[in-house]
Amino acid sequence: MDLPGPIHDFLLVFLGSVLILGGMGVVLFTNPIYSAFSLGLVLVCISLFYILLNSYFVVVAQLLIYVGAINVLIVFAVMFMNGSEYYKDLNLWTIGDVVTLPVCTSIFVLLMIIITDTSWYGIIWTTRSNQIIEQDLISNSQQIGIHLSTYFFLPFEFI
Amino acid sequence: MMLEHVLVLSAYLFSIGIYGMIMSRNMDIALMCLELILNAVNMNFKYFLNFVMAITLAEAAIGLTIVSSIYHNRKSTCINQSNLLNK
Repeated sequence: MDLPGPIHDFLLVFLGSVLILGGMGVVLFTNPIYSAFSLGLVLVCISLFYILLNSYFVVVAQLLIYVGAINVLIVFAVMFMNGSEYYKDLNLWTIGDVVTLPVCTSIFVLLMIIITDTSWYGIIWTTRSNQIIEQDLISNSQQIGIHLSTYFFLPFEFI
Repeated sequence: MMLEHVLVLSAYLFSIGIYGMIMSRNMDIALMCLELILNAVNMNFKYFLNFVMAITLAEAAIGLTIVSSIYHNRKSTCINQSNLLNK
């Protein structure tokens, strides 16, 4: 919201479409290396989403920890496995597979209905007003600590 | 729907992760879908708050140690064969 309008919209649409394709790619690839790299792409996209939400430290933290450590561990774990096992995949649709697809789409449709039906502005205003009221009662040294851990976190971490 | 795109995308990733965990024949893909689910929930938290990362990081670390110990003990990744508790 601090970014100019067209950049915000373009980033939202681009990252959203890459996220949708990458999410489908994690599930639908049979080769586990392809799905591991698709998971890495999804994690990078999620971390770029946090730029839109104005929490800049989390972007770098997510990139370092999730993509740099956890995804690398997943790729190593995939590489240690025997590669001849997924050639035995017969690609049959069992009864469990037929049942889960409508169940999962109904979960997603339910969540969409919930998201579009709740008035988020009312909820955020009431919870954030509590936070604003409580901040006036904190002493000065605590406020320095709060500022160090929120506004000046990045130079704090570098030092 | 302008500000709610993040919530919709996290709901989508969550449902795709659940579907992938149930559907996957391979244990690696199930672990990756679990990471998808955790990241989707994390994204949902961060829409409302600014710094929430500790729980999901601990969860990911624990999950990875469990999976590495599973890989160390058994040599195959078929989920259908994990019925050792049945005997």
